[in-house]
Amino acid sequence: MSGHSEDPVAEESKRFFTFFNLSMFLVAITGIEIVIIYVQTFDGASIIGVLFATSIVKFVGVIWWFMHLRWDKILNTILFLMGLIIALGTYFAVIYMSDTHPVVEKFEVAKLEDEWKADHSYQSKDFVLHNNNYFQAKSDFQSAENFNPKNWKKVSGVPHAISYRITGGVDTIEINSLNPETPFFHLAHPQGEEEIDESTTALLASSASTADFRLKVRSEAYWTESQ
Amino acid sequence: MSDASAHALEHHEPVTSTGIPNKKVLMWAFLGSDCMFFGTLISTHLIYRKISATVGGNFLDIRDIFDIELTSFSTFILLASSLFMALAVSAIHKGNLNSTRWMLFGTIIFGAIFLACQVYEFTHFVHAPGNELTLSTYRGEPHVFGSTFYVLTGTHGTHVAIGVFWLLGWLAYSFTGKMSTANALDIEICGLYWHFVDIVWIIIFPVIYLMEYAM
Repeated sequence: MSGHSEDPVAEESKRFFTFFNLSMFLVAITGIEIVIIYVQTFDGASIIGVLFATSIVKFVGVIWWFMHLRWDKILNTILFLMGLIIALGTYFAVIYMSDTHPVVEKFEVAKLEDEWKADHSYQSKDFVLHNNNYFQAKSDFQSAENFNPKNWKKVSGVPHAISYRITGGVDTIEINSLNPETPFFHLAHPQGEEEIDESTTALLASSASTADFRLKVRSEAYWTESQ
Repeated sequence: MSDASAHALEHHEPVTSTGIPNKKVLMWAFLGSDCMFFGTLISTHLIYRKISATVGGNFLDIRDIFDIELTSFSTFILLASSLFMALAVSAIHKGNLNSTRWMLFGTIIFGAIFLACQVYEFTHFVHAPGNELTLSTYRGEPHVFGSTFYVLTGTHGTHVAIGVFWLLGWLAYSFTGKMSTANALDIEICGLYWHFVDIVWIIIFPVIYLMEYAM
């Protein structure tokens, strides 16, 4: 690893260009990092991935050339890597230790079969079944003795209630259909909630059941799927 | 005689069993341990950033006080200082004392500019109207963000300040007429420390600052 030539002065002169080029490269990469943040073209996870990659490239560039590891004996690299590996190990260990494993307590997908009722309070976007057809409420209102089509919009799909309860801290909730005949995708990013008990309504092309869907939940370090 | 030994004799460095001057081995061991030190501080900040994601019932958005233009500027300044430092090491190896002096001076100036930016940033954060970030509060509400942020970036700033004083010492020494290629190893070790401070910032800048804009 000791790359000292017979003429140290000539060698150092050659390194001048290496150092200058590396410096320009580092400036360019830092510029790219800042532009990526300003432009916000990608989603958050991709930006973080790019930032990690560029940081590693810059880190290696500095220790390899500026800090002369490229030309030094391997012992220096080993000494430094020992500390670096322990530091990284500490980081990941602490990240995992501080995190909790999300648990899917309940996940159900059920067809909505509520028949229309007289003298009942309906909220906007509520679904009802009337004469084997599904309708969606146009606004909040109290129903009269007879079904009034003016208050309802006929829908062509089958409404389903998707309900779930998750405990243990979650960053991302993803629900997707496994059945191509009933396509559906739902993504949510709850903020630091330890327990989530929610439901959402999906208008699907045809009837479906829980087995047709998959719920994925993710915390910082763990990924859990319903199936 | 090996290349390393020949080089050591040429620069009046003692020959050791490892083939590497002991001072240099010591510095690399210290830098390895400093990696663990900063690794702990960065981990602590990231973990508490996640655990304490809200302030006063609202999502914590630290971008309200971060000045990314200023921090980007100081990042470029620190990167440029690393080039000066590498050239200072190169110059002393070549025995070019005048060039060594100028490159050390450039490194010191850029290091001082970086420190000035950090002092301005901290002052701006502590006194930001309506968004005051102190060691224990944010917007007047108790919060841990300031603790981990100031301790991490402040520790890095302290490293930079130590580096600036170390370089100032060598710059002053260069005017005594005693500096020669015999000091090349000492300047190189000082350079290792300076570059390490640079790589720590290479990690801190995206992880602590830029990532706030990606979330």
